[in-house]
Amino acid sequence: MASVALDDVAPHQAMRRRGVSPIAWLAAPALLLFVIFFVLPFGAMAVLSLLSGNPATNPNVIWTTRHYERFLGDDLYSDALWSTLRIGLITTVFSLLVGYPLAHWMARMKSRIGHAALLMAVIAPMLTGIVVRTFAWMTILQDKGVINTTLIGMGLIAKPLPLMYNEFGTIVALVHIYVPFMVLTLTGVIGRIDERLEQAARNLGATRMRAFIEVTLPLSMPGILAGSLLVFALAISAYVTPFLMGGTNVLTLPMLIYQQVSSSFNVGFAGALGVVLLVVSLFIIVAYNRVLARLSGDEALT
Amino acid sequence: MTRLSRRAALKVAAASAVATLAAPAILHAQVKTVKITTWGGKWGDIMKASVLPAFEKEFKCTVSADQAFPFLPKLQASSKSDPLYDVLHTNSNEQWMAVNEGLVMPKFTPKEVPNIADVYPYAVSDKIVGVSIFTSAIGLGYRTDKGLTPPKSWKDLADRKLDGARGGYLIPVNSLGQAHLMMLGKLYGKGMQDLDAAYKALEQLKPIKMVDFTGQMEKMLLAGEVSMGIIHDSGVLRYEGQNQPVDFAIPSEGVMALEQVLAVTPGSKVKELALAYVDFMLRPDIQKQLSEGVWYSPSNKKVKLDAKYDARLFNTEEKVAKLIQPDWNWYNARKDDIDAKVARLLKG
Repeated sequence: MASVALDDVAPHQAMRRRGVSPIAWLAAPALLLFVIFFVLPFGAMAVLSLLSGNPATNPNVIWTTRHYERFLGDDLYSDALWSTLRIGLITTVFSLLVGYPLAHWMARMKSRIGHAALLMAVIAPMLTGIVVRTFAWMTILQDKGVINTTLIGMGLIAKPLPLMYNEFGTIVALVHIYVPFMVLTLTGVIGRIDERLEQAARNLGATRMRAFIEVTLPLSMPGILAGSLLVFALAISAYVTPFLMGGTNVLTLPMLIYQQVSSSFNVGFAGALGVVLLVVSLFIIVAYNRVLARLSGDEALT
Repeated sequence: MTRLSRRAALKVAAASAVATLAAPAILHAQVKTVKITTWGGKWGDIMKASVLPAFEKEFKCTVSADQAFPFLPKLQASSKSDPLYDVLHTNSNEQWMAVNEGLVMPKFTPKEVPNIADVYPYAVSDKIVGVSIFTSAIGLGYRTDKGLTPPKSWKDLADRKLDGARGGYLIPVNSLGQAHLMMLGKLYGKGMQDLDAAYKALEQLKPIKMVDFTGQMEKMLLAGEVSMGIIHDSGVLRYEGQNQPVDFAIPSEGVMALEQVLAVTPGSKVKELALAYVDFMLRPDIQKQLSEGVWYSPSNKKVKLDAKYDARLFNTEEKVAKLIQPDWNWYNARKDDIDAKVARLLKG
């Protein structure tokens, strides 16, 4: 997903510098890794999605579009696509709302110890696995979990609140899991914004809020863009969290893909679902990129 | 003293490097390796601690055991002439998928696996690929501290008192959920293949907390998140003696068999060892050890279990007659339609 952002940046840099710089060769290992671990597997997946079976075990496979027809023929799958994207978008928005103030605070913190402590607080949860963090959320949100047991014990509610086994619980857990990605991306960008620009705006009579909205916020657009794309990409491809938190009420494409691979053993349909998810999310990311670029002026994004 | 020339020193170094690199290969040429799949948890502990070492010692080979489920997609991805596994151990529904794709061999002869002469008929029935080495019974697990009457029928799971505390499985990914769906057809319709009746009955079970595997159901029962749920006997009986308020009930309509099935891949390069492993797993002493370790019912009729296991496991002709074996071949052929239908039914 991040490659899209890179692609957009690359032409500008190429124009500035003619010929291949020796430093550019340093990108070769990364490029090779990208080809081996993304382009090739994705190509294989796309080919499988157009075959009637698995050519490794079945020599009589033919080309077919039936996996895509199946996707289009049943609204269960388009519903799953929509709920995947909806969960991705809501998670991104809330991660931004939670992450931006935190990142701003961190970037502008004068105390080195305070900065280090905050950084640790942001990074520490990332050191435990996604499964562990999701299980932690389960113990908090389930019917016999911390919140419901406390509220019932205090006599405030009679029946447990539906905090889990639905989209709400899934999004809460996803936001918590992916906020560090937003914070770390934003901190780097906000930290580089020259504070004197804000001071200048305030000297010219702008209120604190206006200086933020007209100076800091537009200048931090590249961070918002990168952080949002990262969180969106992670959220729409999340499997464990929607699976454990969503119960039967949440069905996302990664869950369907896993079911196809692990229990229906239909790699063709799984491949088709993967291709659809990638194409749709690429489309959304490109559109988002364009809109933000227009909002902040081209300069901010390059 | 002759001084070692640089060339001679290089030769010695090169030769020893080659020898070092080749050593594992030479060792491997002598010791064959059987590649199997097996479960983790308590089962895996017993296998690794004693069963597999005993097999390796007796047959002078090494066993490489994959515990990372799901196994079938990995086998699917490997070449048929050089398969990733020699012996596939998984549940019955997946063995049917594997045999239909030509990934495992359908049956064993008594000549290949002599111990199958001693197994109960269900373990080699026409509902089984290869041989079932153990079975669990799928019934109802329930909390004993919630004032529930111990369930007598599968229909007790539909009791409205259980709303919010009823447990089942994500049908697309769990064979207990799939077996229960077929059972609903039998209970409320014309038989295990009456899907329309099964769907209707499933809808009546809403709200139902669905999990992906039995270990998760065990946790939900132990935590009180679920008061009654579909589970195999082993998942409840293994807490025997630990003072947990859970018990297992055998509904009067019968229990579905959750078989542990072994099958050998046709392309296995060590077929004799693979067959020997299947035979080994059916030996009475090995069967007793694993049965009592994880509360699985043994397939071999000659196994004599200790009293407390004997009382609850399915180890006599009359008891195994209560086991219902689902027709997985029939189910698998309709799996895609069922998955879509069930997902829509349970959503929202």
